[in-house]
This record gives sequence, structure tokens and C-alpha cells, in this order.
Amino acid sequence: MSTAFATLEDVIAAEPFPEVDLSLRRGRHVDAGDRDWYTFLMDAQALLEGFYARYGCELIHKSDGYFYLLPTDERLGRRHLSSGEMLVGQALTLLYLDPKAVEHGGVVTREQVLAELAGALGTEAFLRAMNPKRKRYDARIAEETARAKVGEALRRLAALGFIEMGDEANLRMRPALMRFAEPVRGGTEPAKALARLVEEGELVVLTDDPQETTAERADAEIDADSDGVSPDDEDEETE
Amino acid sequence: MPETRAELHEVVTSLAARGVALDLSTLDLCFLAALHYRATHPSLASLASFTEEQLVAVFDEVREVAEPEAHSRRRASDAIRRLREQRMLARVDGSGVVRAGEFALTRLATGIVEFFLEQETLTRESLTLLLRTLLATLTDLALAARSATSPESWKATVAAPLAVTVADLVDGIQRRQRGFDLQQEQFQKEIAALLQTDWFGAMDRCQDLLDSTGATLRELNQVLLRDAHTLSAALQEIQELAAAADSREAEEGARLLMDQVDRIAAWGSARQRAWSEYYQYVHRFLRDVVRLDPSRVLTHRLHERLAGKAGAPFALVVADAPPLRLLRTDVAKPSPRPPVRRRRVPVEAPLADEPARDPQAKLTADVRAAVLAGARGLCEVTAEITGQLPPEDRFIAAGRVAQAIAAVCRPNAAADRPWLPASDDLLIEEWTVTEPR
Repeated sequence: MSTAFATLEDVIAAEPFPEVDLSLRRGRHVDAGDRDWYTFLMDAQALLEGFYARYGCELIHKSDGYFYLLPTDERLGRRHLSSGEMLVGQALTLLYLDPKAVEHGGVVTREQVLAELAGALGTEAFLRAMNPKRKRYDARIAEETARAKVGEALRRLAALGFIEMGDEANLRMRPALMRFAEPVRGGTEPAKALARLVEEGELVVLTDDPQETTAERADAEIDADSDGVSPDDEDEETE
Repeated sequence: MPETRAELHEVVTSLAARGVALDLSTLDLCFLAALHYRATHPSLASLASFTEEQLVAVFDEVREVAEPEAHSRRRASDAIRRLREQRMLARVDGSGVVRAGEFALTRLATGIVEFFLEQETLTRESLTLLLRTLLATLTDLALAARSATSPESWKATVAAPLAVTVADLVDGIQRRQRGFDLQQEQFQKEIAALLQTDWFGAMDRCQDLLDSTGATLRELNQVLLRDAHTLSAALQEIQELAAAADSREAEEGARLLMDQVDRIAAWGSARQRAWSEYYQYVHRFLRDVVRLDPSRVLTHRLHERLAGKAGAPFALVVADAPPLRLLRTDVAKPSPRPPVRRRRVPVEAPLADEPARDPQAKLTADVRAAVLAGARGLCEVTAEITGQLPPEDRFIAAGRVAQAIAAVCRPNAAADRPWLPASDDLLIEEWTVTEPR
């Protein structure tokens, strides 16, 4: 796919369009590792920007080398990542920035992710963060739950194109992880950068009583499965 | 080398049954390396074998350097015993217990030491030289194959050189490929270490390393692509000539070498592909991470945020369009199935009338029939009836026949009765019998 498209009709008629379109609408980030998809988006970017704007979305192309769709209103549907996904995503970003990852070409293990989280937060705080609703606290069960939640978060982040799952233990980090570092990038004050990104709709600030997302409800279900307690009934997710 | 899965299984089972294992400490390896050096280095009087005293002396020298705090004599004998048990050292004299032995390094020990000592990697020069030599040898072999007329000449001029000379050259290339792989791994570690020690300052050095290794790999691949085809063609010709001359050994040898040449060529393209991915990754890392964050403040800030020490927690927003709802086509509901019931099985099968079987009555009938047919002696009747039975049952049956005859007709048993054979293994006292009663 070396030539740019002349009309939107050409773009829609192109072979990769349906898959790329569906993936973008489901929150997938597309980078150079996706080869044909990325080339297609590079070629069709100008036409697709107008196309998605009509759905209330912005097709973003970051200088780090990835595309994603950012909804600016409610027409297409949007969600924010769960706190577990955010913790795992930020830990992965730290690993992505670590020169040690260069040795293996950006491939890390699940154990490294767990170690990074435990190192950054402290083991106790990490287990508490992954077991927020647990009243009876047992270290063994809490560790088991934390591992399950990290595994689930990794699976969801892989579906969003932040990482690529290899075999059971290994995963490849992708450039879209740099989104997790956006609020602390650049020379501006982090608080100002955060406010700007919230204004642009890139992220939401979580309060003490966050609106629970689908992902968080699933987290709670994993939690409940491990100790036999049913998850609390909470309101449906809204953005 | 095992060729089929079954052979591999056999080899693995055999190795497991023999309990093959290696257990070498750093000191053992240093000891072997020192022995190898003494055995091969031209500046020393190269020793083909070592006396026990020499082994102890070398071990003591090595121990002084590697583990200065340990104690000597006993450890030297332990090390020698351990290395002999693991077939690293072989006794080469035949004196037994008569006098102290002489020892030499085995092929296994030499291989291990060479792995650690030699940096045998593939370069453009070594690859070109090896491939040229290989090609020249194969051309000579093809000529020899064309002129070979007898099985002996095929074996001597084609099969044997294929198995030894050519196979060694191909092995040489593969060994250097493995060395190159190790070098690549080391090189990746080096780039990571450079970035860790000097984050921003290491960029140019990393870039140079990437470019030079990339160029080397590209050159190697070009040479392999160019020559692998010629090698395969030469081997193909030898294989065809061998097949026509019915020289199985040469044909099989050529086939195995063709497989090896294919693997060598595939190695080049696989490594170049892997290298390309690695190159792109490191390049992106240098461009997007190192260049844009020379003081690593980004990592620090992100770490602080993850630890909850800076700013409010936030969450990324992503698109989440619901999946398209596809309605099912309306299909007629199948009629309700009858409820599942357990099949009733009768407790006992119904009884059926069967004719009674009386072996004694049958025997009596048979005896009567035999007498009516004209048999007039116990021996004759017994022979007729027991003749159909297996030998081990005849003795019992003979008694029953006698009883039946007594019941069917009047036997005439004289006081002095002759003994007659009813069969090969049965003698009975003869009675004469009359008409049935």
C-alpha cells in the first residue's frame, strides 16, 4: 500500500478498512508493529480524520508512532481504564523506559511486571491496591488475587494494543504505552499537563468514589471468585 | 544422529538410562582450560599427556589464582577423580596399578574448553573462504562421481570425502554461526549496559554498534544467498549420479549435506529478520526515549506518580463502541422432545425351556448302537467310542463304557480274559457281549 487514497470511498473499499475500523472503535492502538494496518492509516489519515470527526471522534497520530481513536462525545461510546489497568500500564511504561529492556528487544516477563509494581508501590500497598474491597485480609489470598488481576489487566491492555502477549510468560511492550506517561512528559508542570489532557478528553481524574467501569466490575468479580464473596452491586458505568 | 522421532526417543531413553550428567565447577573449568592451554600452546612444549604429578601441579597453579583460600592436595585428587568419572580426562597408559598413570584431555573436555576460550564467529572473510573451499571440494567430488565405476571407487572417492571433508567444512560454518549468535546476544547485553551506565552519552556508540552489526549481518546473508544455491546444485548433481550408480551411502551423504546447506541459508535470513526487528526497536528507543528524555526525568516523574507521591490518580480514555448487534433469523421451534426416562431393565431374564442333557444316557445309546452295528467285544466298543475323545479323557471314558455295556447287554466275562489294546495308550481286559437286552 504505497499510494495515498484519492477519496474516502477508496479508503472504505480498501481491504484492511473493516478490521482497522472495528479495532479503532474498540479502543485499539495501532503502531508500526501492525505493519499493513499502520501503513493503511498513514496513507488514509487525512481522509479518515474527517470521517471519524462526524462520529464525534478524533483520529490521533502520536509522534511516538501510533494511532488511536479518541471519542470527544458520547456518540460512539467510550470508557476509562480501571485502576488496576492503570497501575499495570504505568508499571509497563516504566519497564518500557528502562534501558534493561533493550537487551531483550522490549520483551519482559509477567514476573518483571509484578516486581516493578511491588517495587514502586511497596508490596503491602500493591496488594492493598489490588484488593481494595477486601475486608478480611489474608496475605496468601491477596497475592493470588493480585496476580489474577495483573494477568487480567495485561490481557485487556493487549486487546487495546499497549502490549503484545507472547507465550505464557513473555510480553512485548509497544509504543502506545507512552500514553501512560503523557501527564508527566514535556517541560510543563505535571498538574497543568494533567488539566490540559483532561480538557482534551484524553483522560479523567479519578476521585475517591470513582464511577465503576466494566473493567472494575470484572476486577471485583475476580476478587469475589477468590474468596466466595459476591461483588457489591454498583451503578452501571457512565463516562 | 537420530533422524526419526523413534530414534530420538531411543537415544533419549538410552541417555536417561545411563544417567548421563555433567557437574563442573568454575575451578574444574579453569583446570581444564589450563590443561588445554598446556596441551596446545606452541610456546610451551606441548604435552600430549600429563602425569599425575603434572596434573596436580597445574591444578595447584589454577587454584592459587581462582580460589586462593582453598586447601590443595586433597582437592587436586578430588578434581582429577571427578573429571575422570565425567570422562573429561582419560588414562592413556596401560599400566594399571603398576605405576602412576598418564592422562589426556578427552574430546568432550576439549569441546567444552574451546567453547569458552575461542571466539570463533562468522566473518565475511571466514565465510567466503569456507564456502570457496567447500565449492572447490564439491566440484572435485562431482568429477570423481562422474568417473567412478565400481562400488569401491564410489566409496573411496565420493562417499568418504562427503562424510568427512565436506561435512567438516559445513560443520565449521555452522559452528561459526553459533558463535555469531552468541556474539549477537553479548552485543545486545552490551547496548543495554551502555545505556544503563551512560544514558544520553551512549547514544552515538549504540548507533555505531547497531549499524556495524547490521552491515555485517547483511553482508553474510548476501554471501550465503549467493553461494548456497551453487552448493545445493553441486550436491544435487552428486546425489543424482549416486542414485544412478546405486551408491546408497553417497546418495544419503549428499542428501544430509543438502539439508545442512539449506539450514545454513535459512539461518542467514532468519537472523536478518530478527535483527531488523531489534534494530527498529533500539532505534525507536534511542529516538523516542533517550533523545527526548536526556536527564531521565520522565522515568522519575512516572515512578513518583505510580507510587502515589505526585498528583491525583488518573485514567486513560479509550473508545469503546459496543459491538454490532446481529439479530438471529427467525427459525421455527422444534416440537418439544419427550421427557427423558430411564429404561427399565428386567431384574432377571425370563426362563426358557431347554432339553435336558444326560451324558450317561447318550453314552448308553452310543454303546447300544455300536453293539447293534455288530461290535461284539468290550475292546471294539471302547475303541469306537473313546476314539473321538482326547487322550487324557479316554481312561475315564473306558470305565463308563464298560458300565454301559454291562447295562445294555449281557457280558461274557471268563475267568481268564485276554488284555487287548483299545488304542495306543489303553489296554483293557476283553469281554465278549451278546445282542442287546
